[in-house]
Order: sequence, then C-alpha cells, then structure tokens
Amino acid sequence: MSQILSVGLGEAVVCKDPRAVLVAYGLGSCLGVAMYDPVNRLAGLLHAVLPTSGNGYQDNPYKYVDSGIQALVQAMEAAGAQRRYLIVKLVGGANMLLSSALSHTFEIGTRNVQAAYSILEAMGLKVAGVEVGGNVGRTVKLFVESGKLVVRRIGGVEQTL
Amino acid sequence: MSKFQPDAHFDEQLLKAMRRIADEGVAHAARGFSDMVGETLSMIRPHALLVPVSQLPHIFGSPEDEAVGIYLRTEGTLACQIMLVVPLNKALELVDMVMGLPAGTTRVLDRLERSALAEVGNLTASFFINRVAELTGHEARPTPPAVIVDMLGAIVDIVVATTGGFGEHLLLIRAGFTCGQRTVNADFWVVPDPATLNIFHWNESSLPL
Repeated sequence: MSQILSVGLGEAVVCKDPRAVLVAYGLGSCLGVAMYDPVNRLAGLLHAVLPTSGNGYQDNPYKYVDSGIQALVQAMEAAGAQRRYLIVKLVGGANMLLSSALSHTFEIGTRNVQAAYSILEAMGLKVAGVEVGGNVGRTVKLFVESGKLVVRRIGGVEQTL
Repeated sequence: MSKFQPDAHFDEQLLKAMRRIADEGVAHAARGFSDMVGETLSMIRPHALLVPVSQLPHIFGSPEDEAVGIYLRTEGTLACQIMLVVPLNKALELVDMVMGLPAGTTRVLDRLERSALAEVGNLTASFFINRVAELTGHEARPTPPAVIVDMLGAIVDIVVATTGGFGEHLLLIRAGFTCGQRTVNADFWVVPDPATLNIFHWNESSLPL
C-alpha cells in the first residue's frame, strides 16, 4: 500500500522508501521540481514559491527555486543519489491571472521556470520533462518505486510525464 | 517609514489592531455584498490570523478542492491583497443570486458569469477598503478584480507568491458570510503588505474605534 508524503510550500522531501509517493498539491505559480535517481532508487520533490533568494531572506532555501534546487541536489547526494543519474522534471510555474492590471505579479510563474532552467544548466543537469506555464493549477505525484511522475489538473485530468 | 522586519512585529498589539480593522471593515464589506446580491447577508465574525506560509493551502480546505477566487490589490499607502474565495458549487449559486436566476440555473462560469462574480468581489472589497481608509486616514486604490477558477492550492499561490518572500508567516483577516438559511461559504481574505502592517502597528492606539 502506498504512503503519501505531502510536500508543502517551501518544503522538499527526499525518500528511498519504495512504498512512498511524494505529492505537491495544487501548484499554481509555485514550481515543483522532481528528481529521481533510477539506479539508487531515490526520489526528491521540491515545492518552491519564488524564483531567487536574492532578497536577503534566506532562512529557508526550499522557498526559492535557485537555492531550493541546489539544496535538493545536496540532500539527494547525501542520501546516496549520484548527480550523473538524476532525472529532473518541472511542473507548475503557471501564471494564474490574466488581468493586465495584475499580471506583473504573476510573471512569478514564468520567472520560477526560468530560474529553474538557469540553475540546472549551471549545475550541469538537464531537464527531462516539463509540464509548466499556462494558467492552470496542477498536482504532481512522484512514485519512489518507479520514478513515475503523474500530473493532475482541475477536473481530475491526469497525465504521466 | 521604518523597514518592516519579517515576523518580528507580529505581536499582540498588531493583532489587536487587525481585529478592530477586521470588525469594522468586514461589516462594511458585508453591506456591499448584500447590495450586490439583493439579499441581506450576515457576516460570520471576522478574525485576524497569523498563518505559517507553508500551511496556508491546508488551512482553508484541501489544496485540490475546486474553487473560485476573486482577487484584487489595493495600491496607495494602504496596500494589500484582497481575495474572495468561494467553493465552485457555491459560486454557481452566487451567480444565480446576483443575476436573479432560479437556483440551479447556472452550470458553467463563462464570461458573463465571471463578470458577475468579479463585480461581487469588486463591491465587497471596495466597501471594506473604503471603511479602513476612513478609519486610518490613509489612501487605497483598488485594481480591477480578476476571477480564477482552479484548485484551491493554485489560488492560494497567488497570495503566497506576492508576499511569501517577506517571512515565514502571513497575517490575514478572514471572514465568512451567510444569507438567511443559505450559507454563502465565501471566505474573505485581506493580506496587508508589510509596509501597511507597519501603519497598523504604530497607529493602533489612534484608530478611532
């Protein structure tokens, strides 16, 4: 029987229990960064809120895409993963509002995705799959046993990434 | 104005000021809401909450619940985010009320229905912010509202993404509304910007309440 591990805002979970499923619910502009090492059967999921940690408040690295990805890779390696095997996928980063008066706020989704590509490239990691952008919320599930990544949208529509 | 220090000023004095503002402002918001739907709405006692950012999506329900968010910001010295959140099925009922349709008529939220909901949010927020502006002597200009139909977690992201960089907690006002035997189940959130919290913090004793 599977065990759901919820990954909240500004949190990351690393797990090697094959029964576990890591879940980030209702991602809007937030970005879910999933990492999987298929050789060592180790999974990690980050639920980042903002693109960069450059505003001076760096008490929680997982709140930000750039520092969160670095911290997640470190945590994965500390748990036994090897960077060269990591499969990285991105989910979320939507721009939830289309109103012109408010849209500047919600470029955060786009900026979150850009920040992820930027830091991953700097770390020598490639993105193997994306389900990002648009203006829809998404739930992401990462199955530790297989590395399967399932994305669910409003109305129950699911796809495997 | 001194720079707001994240989390450091969430003390009892600030919460007391926010409760007073919530009582007065939300009473006015309920009046605006009532005018719009054409029926008398009562407010469920509003309260000020200090919420850990990481827990925000779980406080209002399941993050995957389908909901409608009517969102706007105010600009000026009273800068805040205002969000009216309604479960999707209740939003359909709300459209029926606003448009004078028999209950159960509205099944989908197209442009017209979203426009009606936007107007509910606009009026409710305007009544709230106008009262707070009167009380504090500060100025606020609301932006046009936006209507979002999606998972509750994605709607909450809008607020979190805007304020999440400031600290580990958010201070918000929460209230609900009822209409006779019918519970509207609308959640009314007001999240002041940090600089605005400073105004409330330092001026609590001078609020004419």
